[in-house]
Amino acid sequence: MIEITDTDGKAGCPMNEGFIARGASLSESETARARFPFYRELRGAQPVYFDPKLNMYLVTRYDDVQAVFRDPITFSMKKGYEKTYASGHQEEFQAILKRDGGGFFRDGIMSDPPEHTRLRKLYEKAFTAHRVKGLEERIRTIIVDIIEGVAAKGSAEVVADIAGPITAGVICEQLGLDRGEIDTATVQRWSFAVVAQLGFMQDREQMIKNAATMCEMQNYLIAKIREREQEPREDLISDLVHARIDDAENPTLSFEEKVSSVRAMLIAGNETTASAIANMFYVLATEPEVARKCRDAVDDERLIGRFVEELLRREPPVHGLTRMASRDVELGGVTIPEGSHMMVMFASANDDDAEFACPREFNTERPNLSRQVGFGGGVHRCVGSALARSELKVVAQEIVRRLGDIRLDIAVEDIAYVPSASNHMIRHLPITFTRRG
Amino acid sequence: MITVTFVEANGAERVIKDVNTDQSLMEVGRANGVEGITADCGGACACATCHVYIDPAWEAVVGQADDVEAMTLDMAPNLKPESRLSCQIQLRAELDGLKVTVAPAF
Repeated sequence: MIEITDTDGKAGCPMNEGFIARGASLSESETARARFPFYRELRGAQPVYFDPKLNMYLVTRYDDVQAVFRDPITFSMKKGYEKTYASGHQEEFQAILKRDGGGFFRDGIMSDPPEHTRLRKLYEKAFTAHRVKGLEERIRTIIVDIIEGVAAKGSAEVVADIAGPITAGVICEQLGLDRGEIDTATVQRWSFAVVAQLGFMQDREQMIKNAATMCEMQNYLIAKIREREQEPREDLISDLVHARIDDAENPTLSFEEKVSSVRAMLIAGNETTASAIANMFYVLATEPEVARKCRDAVDDERLIGRFVEELLRREPPVHGLTRMASRDVELGGVTIPEGSHMMVMFASANDDDAEFACPREFNTERPNLSRQVGFGGGVHRCVGSALARSELKVVAQEIVRRLGDIRLDIAVEDIAYVPSASNHMIRHLPITFTRRG
Repeated sequence: MITVTFVEANGAERVIKDVNTDQSLMEVGRANGVEGITADCGGACACATCHVYIDPAWEAVVGQADDVEAMTLDMAPNLKPESRLSCQIQLRAELDGLKVTVAPAF
């Protein structure tokens, strides 16, 4: 066997695997499967890399990613969102939503300051760390029910049997939606249709199908919004519908804002948190040392919190999100022309050894864990991070308490991922385990 | 109206006067562009980007972090016993003259 050496001739990890030389793209499955070596090569040689197939610049170094976070005007969310929404079929998509779905509602939160600030402040109040702490026992009840439901069976498919039902269950309860009316499959189908409008891989036929799904979803949510307008309840839809905003000219949400807000709350935490749960099972099943750390942390709030944060650092479900350059701007030694699309690679920043020593090592005692950017950063940082952390923490605890000897029931090379440049999402993860306790 | 002082990580003192008490210390820092108070999560106690050290003379008046804040602070770099998240410090008349130092981000 030939030992691969890096350019200094030292034995060790290869620094250059030829990704740049062959013009690799995150849209190719072979590159997407080797994401971390790809990012490492880019950080070393071309930290702001033009991905020829995605037609966008990938920003890979921690410091450059932070520079994007700090300047939401130059690196615009709104411009990219408006340009790419519905993957080039926007006019037809809007017409379908207006005709059959109660209207076309832009995501008000996918905007730039100061417009962005109005909705952002409202959303921040919904999921503060303190408010989520108060929800934790309810979250635990939902999670325990679902894990207990599979515990005696000895095997499960993590995405469909555990992760999806947990995230859908938690958010539906928060919003006050009846799980008898919308099951996990419905929530997932709706989420997929909404998220597909932000991706770049939807053809016209898929757009028409997704638009019909979104119409179904909006009609359902609009009926719930109308109910809460008449008669408020103790739930998040009522809170949003009746919210008073710190904005003297427009102190309440418009109808468009209400629909886009309820829709965003329902969708935002589903696929991402479910992905993080699947990643957690994958790591527990394949890395005994990490599984041991999880067991040791189970009854210690500080340690289990750190376990979750390190998992999100090393295996973030969202690998990157897009922005558009609103002017010519220099970043990482490259001039990015006005109007260019960019993807800010959170996963690469979290893997940058200039910020996190030995980045592939799972180390819960890192002194700078709060600087991990799995939730993004700046004004667009994930507004539901406290809820996601809480779900992940309780899942970790209840897995350890109820399931033992977790193993993959599939060969690692057979695990399929959802095709996506921005998300690292396991499609199916069959596992086996024993019942504990 | 009260006065609060932030000492930025580079040593610069930012004395901010005529501050309304209907806000958190973080909101004052952010509104006045204090270096190092980025407050990404907007005051949700979820990100530790508004980390400050309370001047020893003020520790007793300001009080201690609660459990939720302590969990978030724990993961922040350069943690000290006098660390607090400024988003969790609601201003009030007794804090007139409060002085804090912005913790270095890394």
